[in-house]
Amino acid sequence: MDILYHLGMGLLQCLSPVTLLLLVVGVLIGLISGVLPGLTVVMGVILVLPFTYPMSATNAIIVLTAIYIGGTYGGAFTSILFKIPGEPIHVPLLWDGYPMARQGQAAKALGWTLYAAIGGGLMAAIIMVVVSEPFAIVALKFSTPEYFAIVFLGLTSVIVLGTSTIRQAVISLAIGILVATVGIDDIYGAERFTFGISILRDGIDYLTVMVGTYALAEVLKRLEEGFVSPTLKQVGKVKTTFPTWLEFKGQIGLFLRSIGIGTIIGSVPGAGATVASFVSYGMEKQYGKNRKEMGKGAPEGIVSSQTAATASVGGALIPLLTLGIPGSGCTAVILGAFLLHGIQPGPQVFATSLDMVYTIYASVFLALVIMAIIGYLAVKPMCKVLDAPESVSSAFIMVLCFIGAFTIRNNISDVWMMVVFGLIGYVMERYNYPIAPLVLGAILGPLAERAFLTTMISYSNNWTVFFTRPISGVVMFISIFGLLFTIFYPMLKSRQKQTTLGQ
Amino acid sequence: MKGWKRLITAAAIVGLISVSLAGCGGESKAPSQQAAGEKYPVKPVEFIVPWGPGGGADQTARTSAPHVEKALGVSLPVINVAGATGVVGMNKMLAAPNDGYSLLVYTADTHALLATAGDKAPFKFEDLTPVARMIKAPSFLFVKADGKYKNWADFEKAAKENPGKIKVGITGQGSPDDMTVQFLASKGIKLQGVPFPNPSERYVSVLGDHVDALYEQAGDVRQYVEGKQMIPIIVFNEERFPAFKDVPCSKELGLEIYMPQTRSVMIKAGTDPEKVKKLGDAFKKAYDTPEYQKWLDQQYGTKDSYLGPADAVKFFKEDLASMKALLKK
Repeated sequence: MDILYHLGMGLLQCLSPVTLLLLVVGVLIGLISGVLPGLTVVMGVILVLPFTYPMSATNAIIVLTAIYIGGTYGGAFTSILFKIPGEPIHVPLLWDGYPMARQGQAAKALGWTLYAAIGGGLMAAIIMVVVSEPFAIVALKFSTPEYFAIVFLGLTSVIVLGTSTIRQAVISLAIGILVATVGIDDIYGAERFTFGISILRDGIDYLTVMVGTYALAEVLKRLEEGFVSPTLKQVGKVKTTFPTWLEFKGQIGLFLRSIGIGTIIGSVPGAGATVASFVSYGMEKQYGKNRKEMGKGAPEGIVSSQTAATASVGGALIPLLTLGIPGSGCTAVILGAFLLHGIQPGPQVFATSLDMVYTIYASVFLALVIMAIIGYLAVKPMCKVLDAPESVSSAFIMVLCFIGAFTIRNNISDVWMMVVFGLIGYVMERYNYPIAPLVLGAILGPLAERAFLTTMISYSNNWTVFFTRPISGVVMFISIFGLLFTIFYPMLKSRQKQTTLGQ
Repeated sequence: MKGWKRLITAAAIVGLISVSLAGCGGESKAPSQQAAGEKYPVKPVEFIVPWGPGGGADQTARTSAPHVEKALGVSLPVINVAGATGVVGMNKMLAAPNDGYSLLVYTADTHALLATAGDKAPFKFEDLTPVARMIKAPSFLFVKADGKYKNWADFEKAAKENPGKIKVGITGQGSPDDMTVQFLASKGIKLQGVPFPNPSERYVSVLGDHVDALYEQAGDVRQYVEGKQMIPIIVFNEERFPAFKDVPCSKELGLEIYMPQTRSVMIKAGTDPEKVKKLGDAFKKAYDTPEYQKWLDQQYGTKDSYLGPADAVKFFKEDLASMKALLKK
């Protein structure tokens, strides 16, 4: 009951006009930075950080946290409506949300993301308040072998993603991982594949890969078709509605699984919302009961990734507040804000500034509610955008792509890089090579490499640690089992078919 | 690492935006070549932080800037231009004329590039003129508070009994952290340096028992030290650190390696010495304020942190020479 009392007091603190206004502004900035490709949530948080210096410590943290929460949701709109992933976390939404919108169910797809973001966010927030201690202890158990295992799970799950063959998926994945190795490596500082060109020294940012291969390639494809895709007209006319309560009830198990995955992965310092989103989607795709439909516009694909992404915020705040350890890029900036205000997050904060901790907790709940209201109001008008002629919306998509690529680091070479990847994405799609593994390889490749190398250095090149440590062993087992199953199950089936035909 | 890369990138954007905003302010026409004895400064002096907002370099600038502003009578806008171990921001400063209106925070990490990269270093020390050294914070080895090791003696014994088995979290290969680990190995204390470029992973690694010790300055892990989660076992310094009187210093143990974190203020080489002196004095005034001293204590900086223009040159040259000597071994 103590918790409820403190939370109530915190809520009262949050209801002051200034704080409420800050919450609304924060959520809005988060949503916008989530929508713009190139401007990531982390950047949004950093951009606002200098403005929080004069605020009280509590207000500063509240506004930054609100941006963080909003940022995990905003990109859902552009991903579903235009195939522009505003954030890497929303790449899985392109696989199911976009097809769903093309089938005339844009509002339903957006409705699912709204439910997912709220459900995931609220449950993770409750976990954060009630059982933060045990979660923080679990997070400390994770080291580089576990980081590698989790990322490996994400990488293997993409192989089963696409509709094309495994062979093509693996080729695409390998290209993505190769792209990620360009530049100076983190551990030894060696230059790789730079060919003496200075723009390659800084590496290829995965955002250029993501925006180019998805959004730009999509526009190129439409250009080739002459902007006459007939489905769009239907999309505008078909009346779409939110998912019903019954539909929602059927997915409660899925919600709970995704919340668990999101909160745990969010609380682990080596992974964040992106990994959470991919792993949650991958698990559902490999083991979910509706896995056959995923990738063609199934709600499971939307819910699993979005729920885990927003749930990871609560997860990432757990080690930040209880141990003073940031679980993600955003929480690293929030930690900076704490320190600038002379507060050291960690166990002592609960003793010295309990009011503040609970005010922050309460603000997370409030921010989610505000986000829900804004999101709900935005769904219908946003769907109207699809009424615009395809050529017009494509022009806007192009503009967004170019601005996005430039924003990454104010560097014109990133824009060229994005154009190159747009062409690559277009060609790959023409020849039926899936793009998802390429993008995933580019995003997860560096994480996997760093975790692998650090593990090798740390455990004197003993690779068995990946299997002998309990957590990483279990995760590795799941990924390898899933991989073998996907490869051999179809083989087995076709052989059975052959034998029955032979008889 | 991508996350950090983006952090840095984003910080660079913040910097650029603030630069353009600063540019919007009234710009009085000041020719770069001016007669001696001119009035200086007459317009805002930009203060470039080549690291992201919220970090140590940023705090150094933002804590001192208000007081320097008072001493100089002009404003000192702080601009974050992060990237490439501080070199991106430095290039911005070097691109400006040497008229005394562009300052830079220069950290030990950037200085170490001169030693590790040698002739391939992306800048020359001769391009820069030191204005002041604003903080010197010695490095420590930390262990988990309720862990296997209570003090340096335990730790050293374990390291000698199991050469190469005791792990230390460091930032990366070739860093000052790594140089210290290499030096200890040459003295028979063979440790395994495990690189974690991401600070939070580095801190978790010691709190979660994945490495045995952590190489860090005390100010960066203050919350863990004050929260009794980590304890220092050795300070790499000529003398013991007042805040941790029971912790031995490396000199008394015969380990003569000192790689403190330093953050200094630099200006483009060729700036009028009068101006440099004026700036040096202004930073000294800022250094002596109670606010700055309080921050210095929080950062576990030493009492002799401040060095004026001449002393700072000497310090950097000697520091570079000792790093180079260390790398040759």
